[in-house]
Amino acid sequence: MKLMRKAALVLAAVPAIVFITPVGSASAHGYISSPASRAAQCAQGALGDTCGQARYEPQSAEGPKGLKNCSGANGAFRELDNDALPWKVHNTGSSLTLTWTFTARHVTRDYEYFIGGTRVGFVSGNNAQPSNPTTHTINLGGFTGRQKLYAIWNIGDTVNAFYSCIDLNINGGGTTNPPPTTTTTRPPTTTNPPVTTTTQQPPAGGTWAANTSYAVGSTVTYGGSSYRCRQAHTSLTGWEPPNVAALWEKV
Amino acid sequence: MKRLVIAVAVLALAGCGGEAVVPEGQGAHGHGASSAAPPVPGASARFNDADVTFVQMMVDHLQLGISLSQVGLAKATSQEAKDLAGAIDVTQREELTMLKSWLKLWDKPEGDGANLHVAHGGQPLLDDKVINEAKDKNGAEFDMNFLNLMTGHQGAGVEMALDEKKDGMNPETTAYAERVIATRQGQIQQMLKIISGP
Repeated sequence: MKLMRKAALVLAAVPAIVFITPVGSASAHGYISSPASRAAQCAQGALGDTCGQARYEPQSAEGPKGLKNCSGANGAFRELDNDALPWKVHNTGSSLTLTWTFTARHVTRDYEYFIGGTRVGFVSGNNAQPSNPTTHTINLGGFTGRQKLYAIWNIGDTVNAFYSCIDLNINGGGTTNPPPTTTTTRPPTTTNPPVTTTTQQPPAGGTWAANTSYAVGSTVTYGGSSYRCRQAHTSLTGWEPPNVAALWEKV
Repeated sequence: MKRLVIAVAVLALAGCGGEAVVPEGQGAHGHGASSAAPPVPGASARFNDADVTFVQMMVDHLQLGISLSQVGLAKATSQEAKDLAGAIDVTQREELTMLKSWLKLWDKPEGDGANLHVAHGGQPLLDDKVINEAKDKNGAEFDMNFLNLMTGHQGAGVEMALDEKKDGMNPETTAYAERVIATRQGQIQQMLKIISGP
């Protein structure tokens, strides 16, 4: 009898394990992509490895509702709260249009926008899934100069919200809240060279390089072999010719 | 009786997080071939549930990405967006062929990707309706919506790959996850630079 009870306990415990394990970090979410929020700048590689997890998951600065910060008080994203980092500042007038990028479409309670403690924008989500794209135009009221805007996506069916911060310079002011001196010292961009957008073809037989625009028919060498481009693209790490026969044909 | 309890527990645990091995002789057909890259790199025989779930979810994820790429190829106005759509289309088709062959090797079904995503807490960004609605936009508005959707979709792929890196054990699958992280991050960088300026 005792054993039977043990067996029942084991059986009862199993479904709990099954339900708990797959959830993991399954999450997925959203951030402001335009103008480039701090998280979007991290995803662009603009700050190198400084950003921590935000470089991989700009969409996952998730925390309980009601916070006023950039990370959702989520430790893996704490660098987003660091005002001393060289965040790019967006120049704007009093009216600002923002676009969210979602990786999952949670049912939405509402969107809130704050400067300091002042709510400068509110958009109801009607407890529906967001539309694509989700773009809001808000009035920044009487604020001028250098300001930090908190953009908050309040989820309808969880206690959580997603947080995104945008550094602004409103109406060309810039004196009310001078940027930290570190703003002018951007880290060297050697690890993340800017994407080359020119369409000029590299010299035939040149060595393959990331972030280069290749036209169909361009030839490169990589690892001692030659390859011909089959599909126009801008190259990137992971798309080295031997990895992607769809893009490069060995010649 | 005691044995029964243990057997029940073992069976139950094997159902979640166990590992499996394909019988000798069936695995690793992509190995030791020659220096020429095989068209479909094989996966080796040792894998666990996380590997299978990741590959099943990626099959669905890749198909949705291909559908969106097709829309981008047909309607994007900027050459940059069009080229990216074309490159995502062909590379993800290649990945899809590879992943389907792995599932076959492991004797696992392709599964119902959409249900898998829901079971894993996601409400996927893309479905047929969202992809169809994207077709209704034109010009620059189309481009921005397309890039925005693709940025989000590929970002979700990074999340799935990070989970696989943490929980998976099959070396080919975890290596593929690494490549998903690198290539999607690269694509997202390219797209964000178009969306919000360099």
